[in-house]
Amino acid sequence: MSTSSSNGSSSAGGGGRVDYDARVVGSGIGGMESALKLGAMGYRVLVVEKEPSVGGKMILLSKVFPTLDCASCISTPKMGETTHHPNLTVLTDAEVAGIGRDDDGRFSVRVRQKPRFVDTPLCTGCRLCEFACSVSVPDQFNGELVARRAAYIPFPQAVPQKALVERAGTSPCTFACPAGIKAHGYVSLARSGEYEKAFQLVLETTPLVGSLGRACYAPCEEQCTRGDLEGSLPIRRIKRFLADRHEGGPGVEPGEPTGKRVAIVGSGPAGLTAAWQLGLRGHRVKIFEAAPEPGGAMRLSIPSYRLPAEVVERDVANVTALGVEIETNSRVDDLEALQRDGFDAVLLATGTPVPVQLGVPREELGAVSPALDFLRSVKLGDPPDLAGKRVVVIGGGNVAIDAARSALRLGASEVHEVCLEARSQMPAYEFEVEEAVAEGVVLHDSWGIRGFGGKDEVTAVELKRCTAVFGADGRFDPQYDETETDELACDVAIVAIGMRRERNLQVDAITLQSAEQPWLFAAGDVVTGPAKIVDAVGAGRRAAFMLDRYLRGESLSEVPFDERLPGVEHEDVLRRQRGHSRRDPLAPAIRLVSHPSDFAELEPGLAEDEIRAAAARCLDCGVCSECHECISVCPAGAIDLEQREQELEVGVGSVIVSTGYSLFPADAKPQYGYGRFQNVITGVQMERLLAPTRPYNTVLRPSDGKMPDRIAYVMCTGSRDETVGNPLCSKFCCMYSIKQNQLIMGALPLADVTVHYVDIRTPGKGYDEFFEQAKAMGGQFIKGRVASIAEAEGGNLILRYEDVDNGGHIAEAEYDLVVLAVGVRPNLDTKTLFSDEELALDEFDYVDEPEEDINPGATSIPGVFVAGAAAGAKDIPESILHAGAAVAQAAAWLEREKVTA
Amino acid sequence: MSRDVREIVREEPLVRSRILAALAAGPRTVPEIAAAIGAPENETMLWVMGMRKYGLLTDLPEPEGDYYRFQAATK
Repeated sequence: MSTSSSNGSSSAGGGGRVDYDARVVGSGIGGMESALKLGAMGYRVLVVEKEPSVGGKMILLSKVFPTLDCASCISTPKMGETTHHPNLTVLTDAEVAGIGRDDDGRFSVRVRQKPRFVDTPLCTGCRLCEFACSVSVPDQFNGELVARRAAYIPFPQAVPQKALVERAGTSPCTFACPAGIKAHGYVSLARSGEYEKAFQLVLETTPLVGSLGRACYAPCEEQCTRGDLEGSLPIRRIKRFLADRHEGGPGVEPGEPTGKRVAIVGSGPAGLTAAWQLGLRGHRVKIFEAAPEPGGAMRLSIPSYRLPAEVVERDVANVTALGVEIETNSRVDDLEALQRDGFDAVLLATGTPVPVQLGVPREELGAVSPALDFLRSVKLGDPPDLAGKRVVVIGGGNVAIDAARSALRLGASEVHEVCLEARSQMPAYEFEVEEAVAEGVVLHDSWGIRGFGGKDEVTAVELKRCTAVFGADGRFDPQYDETETDELACDVAIVAIGMRRERNLQVDAITLQSAEQPWLFAAGDVVTGPAKIVDAVGAGRRAAFMLDRYLRGESLSEVPFDERLPGVEHEDVLRRQRGHSRRDPLAPAIRLVSHPSDFAELEPGLAEDEIRAAAARCLDCGVCSECHECISVCPAGAIDLEQREQELEVGVGSVIVSTGYSLFPADAKPQYGYGRFQNVITGVQMERLLAPTRPYNTVLRPSDGKMPDRIAYVMCTGSRDETVGNPLCSKFCCMYSIKQNQLIMGALPLADVTVHYVDIRTPGKGYDEFFEQAKAMGGQFIKGRVASIAEAEGGNLILRYEDVDNGGHIAEAEYDLVVLAVGVRPNLDTKTLFSDEELALDEFDYVDEPEEDINPGATSIPGVFVAGAAAGAKDIPESILHAGAAVAQAAAWLEREKVTA
Repeated sequence: MSRDVREIVREEPLVRSRILAALAAGPRTVPEIAAAIGAPENETMLWVMGMRKYGLLTDLPEPEGDYYRFQAATK
């Protein structure tokens, strides 16, 4: 985002490209100083900062040495000036994608502007989003000593003081949902015990919370990253819990009336979801349903042991509570009549109610019936009498399984299921097949139907061996061995080999609008053929979106709908942690009995403690869960989860590389136990503990909150150490340790602080006096390397060290807290900055200054200069001085270019 | 081996109510809260400090021995 702007308007460059005199990469103290000085000279400067705030590392320090001035007090005016200077434009959350050289010698810079997911001009920095956010992550700006939220303001002095939302992508569960339900969102809310908010989040997509909580095939769970560990979260059952717990109506008001009327034909999942969405948008909706009850297959086909009728009725009540009218027993054959009756638009959502026939001899015999008719009679309370009868169900899909299991419950003495496919190829869910067999259904796989036996009533189903279901091209083309036959005696035969739509209506696959009649739309199975409930929900939601645009006179072409960030890869999620504790998944709770005698629901609901524990297993794959709590609470309406990355191209005359340094990873010295021992921290973490905006109320041990009595510093951790590939001195570790030494003695007057050092380097004005001051205050300094650190009971730490000044013997001492004075490493981002030319690095991978002694700041590329620690470890005054040199070089370059142009 | 910090802080929303319940009888130190909720002290420290940061807990101004005590914030 652009935090300032001034002369960012296009100047010399063409093609929409914005031109500047100079560009500064990085906005630490060196970068800010460079930009401000160039700006003061009148040059127009673009500052590109990859973090969400300017200020670099200095703003996170407690105080500076040797003056002990407040680091924030020095940094924040510069940060403010940088972002408000009329000659500076600052892009935070931005990265350089590549720098090339134009024909005229200027630089062409591609900048990736990362989305902040917050409309920053609207954001007031009130932090309400942060307090409402349901996802907790380590706070990288506080050394991971405390949590922050996925929606957050980086730190109290951040500039800009604006929120952002951390999104790594779309969580796999949410990404997998055809309906666009924010699965991660409602799981994270359930984890917090915010069940009603979670319920309302599902309602943003569909009113069918209870039905989907029971009968969805849960593609979210198939994609759950936790499935790569011990097993997926029970996401569907969490949704069911939310629906079961919710009381009363939906608690949602219809939108502002638009005066438009929509007729929906069919009340299945597509029709109900579309009605819900259209009602939310203020349209008057009436549903025409041919059946005596609304709900489509959910109400008429899916057996009550999987989806009780009252659950569907409750979901339907959500829709009617919004003012949607449902007229049952109302078949519509003439869609145009609806338009003539005053409806502004019509949505056809009639599903696939027509059973497919076998087309074999004697199919018309009595007691041979389609599964849809059979299931419907059962669900509507008027089942056939199957007591003691032998039933054969034909088909290998879920409907066939439903029919077979329903027949068992109606008292059939035998239930056989015949299907073309081998068991492993059956289109029914494997768990459903297993359950059916466990209940007593006898499976006859790889058989086709020759015909039916009997005179008036069916007495047998005649079989022939099916040798293949699909042809070489993958299309349905069953092959039979007519010589291998069999016969199943039966009293009733139920055919469940497919369903089809009543009428063919061609609609655009994206807009779902009829090409011939723009007021006519279609969605769900009537368009796609038989699909899953959640697919139909997604289609209904899309149809409502398009219908709404149509009714408002808006274009339907190339309109983004439900565009999601790319799904997060499982490996990327798992890599975020060094390990994952085992969290056992809930065991399946279905209790199966042989030959069940009733339609009681098989799967019990989960208890609240089970829900909380299950939701706590969520890995927050996308970081932001899309729970929408930030959207709900933001008084400025600033949250914008639809923001996407943009690439900008700018032209500049000169580049200053001020990317700073990276810190040595303390766990690369495993003998010191960082990451394993809670009370071994880094100097940077101690900076945070001492800073005015510290994560704790004072300096406390991370292991238990104890105020430490004895604190040790281990100098040169990762510096001057060939064993970790860094022979260089980091220059400022001695001084910051001495500074912290004094600050600790101020914060904890009774604490003893001991510094284990190789040798103390204090080469600056007042530095040595500062060192002497620390010693005078009581700081202990022991010369000699620390060999190892071990953890004692209670979290104390045993240092094994060399004591050079006392005979060089090896000694041990116990401390409450150990601080590793970590050194610095080059920031390797510099390696990929330039695409056309190579920016030379020195032997240590810092930006090379070929003539460092006489030409500081100049690099191997004419027109490119380096400022601050990107060229090597520097303390703050040195970085500022070096930035001055780079600025002078850059200004001279720009002036020369003007003269020679 | 302690758990990854990301895993611990992720559970803060889960344990909030337990920590607040543990503080119902009065202020407690981190080790006391940890004992009350049956969780490791280092993990409790992260949760307590997260709750303090977001205004659910406050610390008493004076420590008790080597430890500060925390109490539920009054709204």
